[in-house]
Amino acid sequence: MKILAIDTSCDETAVAVTEGTKIISNVVWSQIALHKKWGGVVPNIAKRAHQEKLDEIIVKAIRKAGNEKPEAIAVTIGPGLAIALEVGIIKAKELAIKWRIPLIAINHTEGHLLSPLSVAGKRKQIAEFPAWGLVVSGGHTELVYIKKVGDYRIMATTQDDALGEALDKAARMLGLGYPGGAFLEKLATKGNANRYPLPLPMKGKENQNSFSYSGIKTAMWQLVEKIKKESGELKRKQIEDLTASFQTTAFRHLTRVTKKSIENSNLEAKSLLVGGGVIANKQLRKELRRTGKELGLGVYFPTSRKLCGDNAGMIGVVARYKIKRGELITEKDFEKVDRIPRMKVDQNFEI
Amino acid sequence: MGMKVVTKKAIEEAIDCFKSGGLVIYPTETTYGAGVDATNDKAVGKLLKYKKRPLGKPLSIAVCDQSMAEKYVFLNDTASNIYRNFLPGPVTIVSTGRHQVARGVESETGTLGVRIPAYPMVLEIIRKLRKPITATSANSSYQKRPYSIIDILENISKKQKALIDLIIDVGELPHNEPSTVVDTTLDDTLILRQGEVILRESQEILSRSEESTRNLGKELWQKYEQYYGQRAIVFALEGPMGVGKTQLTKGIARAMGIKEEVVSPTFVIEADYGQGKLIHIDSWRLINGEELKEMGFQKRINDKSVVVVEWAERVIDLIKKHNEEVVVVWVKMVYGKKTNERLINFGIL
Repeated sequence: MKILAIDTSCDETAVAVTEGTKIISNVVWSQIALHKKWGGVVPNIAKRAHQEKLDEIIVKAIRKAGNEKPEAIAVTIGPGLAIALEVGIIKAKELAIKWRIPLIAINHTEGHLLSPLSVAGKRKQIAEFPAWGLVVSGGHTELVYIKKVGDYRIMATTQDDALGEALDKAARMLGLGYPGGAFLEKLATKGNANRYPLPLPMKGKENQNSFSYSGIKTAMWQLVEKIKKESGELKRKQIEDLTASFQTTAFRHLTRVTKKSIENSNLEAKSLLVGGGVIANKQLRKELRRTGKELGLGVYFPTSRKLCGDNAGMIGVVARYKIKRGELITEKDFEKVDRIPRMKVDQNFEI
Repeated sequence: MGMKVVTKKAIEEAIDCFKSGGLVIYPTETTYGAGVDATNDKAVGKLLKYKKRPLGKPLSIAVCDQSMAEKYVFLNDTASNIYRNFLPGPVTIVSTGRHQVARGVESETGTLGVRIPAYPMVLEIIRKLRKPITATSANSSYQKRPYSIIDILENISKKQKALIDLIIDVGELPHNEPSTVVDTTLDDTLILRQGEVILRESQEILSRSEESTRNLGKELWQKYEQYYGQRAIVFALEGPMGVGKTQLTKGIARAMGIKEEVVSPTFVIEADYGQGKLIHIDSWRLINGEELKEMGFQKRINDKSVVVVEWAERVIDLIKKHNEEVVVVWVKMVYGKKTNERLINFGIL
């Protein structure tokens, strides 16, 4: 069954055509120039840009997939910015009515969660369940227990900032612009993480099943102010060392809490699925692979960089499982399909 | 002019080509770029045709040094910091443009991405040309990253090929990532607005921990709860990163009886708790109050909601406009002398 998938939850206008877990086309139009990895949204610009671009991107995705009419439309209903989500939902309904095909309402976070299962080109991964899922992006830092696809339990979330957001904020404190997470990653590879030690967040409180980045953010701000007071404007080497320190500490916190939460749960699992924009970061991948190894779990990342960031291919992949469970929505119920801006990953949308 | 491939002594030829409005494929430390004189309308039109890119998605420019950059963009402290420390190099820096380039190069909002490629030959061409050139990658939109001329030519149409006037072929480039784009314009407005808020009567409190900041949130709610249901209450929070704005909001939410965990709203910009009882807004990435207005701020006020606005100084224009109909509690938070100390000032605006 060929599915047209639409995601306008953020500032990326994303459309894909999928079949099963196979991604046939996957078009992403980023509103902020060029290669931004994560960052978030500027509301009215996002909405307008989605409205202007969506038709063109839909045509492009369908054409790239061989110009066949899709048999169902999957659309993201949350979480995300309300006015941006709305653009995709309205368009999905309009097309579904025009083509007389059903809708499937998708949770964006579930898309990231299952993104390692998507098949792009020849690369295919088979993960065993039950599994753990970790989503790390600009908007999310969530550890989820996946009993099977569609059956989720949130095991740890952030108390304050998401990981991607914290990295972007650290970059901004260092005068690197916004969103600076990608720039920060580049600089961190050259830096010495031991020169400016930062306190590990929630040390001794790893059993609380919470991530937190507010403490390290504050410590970073104070450290930067102190260095500036002592030696004036930051120099290249100092910036590199500070980025390395921040990144290393932020990642160590992520893996520590992940590990503790998994160990304390006593739940049986075979794999660790990891998704979200921040997972394009090589150092983080390395550390999560090690964590998986220590826990005896097979670790799975999305098979391409594109599938890490926001995209609609992953939305189509989730749709496949929903179709299997019979969660298709027919025209009489379209009016009940509405945006859920703060939708949780374990929140099921029911008609 | 037909397509020509040169390898050596390309500099003079490239300059002539740029001067006559030509499209040049040139190497950089990242990928091959497609360049035209960024100040020539016709040449830029040609480039957009080549890229198959509609107007609306901005291009960026390559310059030879910072002083040349300053002819085309305004550099704030953040931008200067990056220029000083990391250029030339694979970073594109977005600043507010001076509208000195051809149509379609700057973004709709008037910003412009600038880069200084760490590739001496290109820098020499630009220096001698005394004009910026476009710095977009040489592939067609959505196509493979161009590390060799073959990558480009294999993926474009005959029509596109016909638009190329000159190719500077230096062989296959190392497969470096494309340049990283950073936007520095968010730091523009913040500086302009500092010190605009003067509170007539205010109270000052010293917080010694996150917990005590949360408790202050609770006290704030208890103090102004009397207006709840009669008028909208806006808690406008001002203060630097990491000072505890979200902690204070957690305290307000807890005092209001909201059970959900309040987290940073930076990414979604606006979050509501307790079925619309409390609206938590982060203005950090908003350009001004206009954006907040478009998100339905008026409705929040009509609904007599409780609204917490972080980085309120960014949207003070809008908040001041509603000052008559709304109870605005302005809260200024600054770092204290000791690591955990915060000085918190608050009062009715």
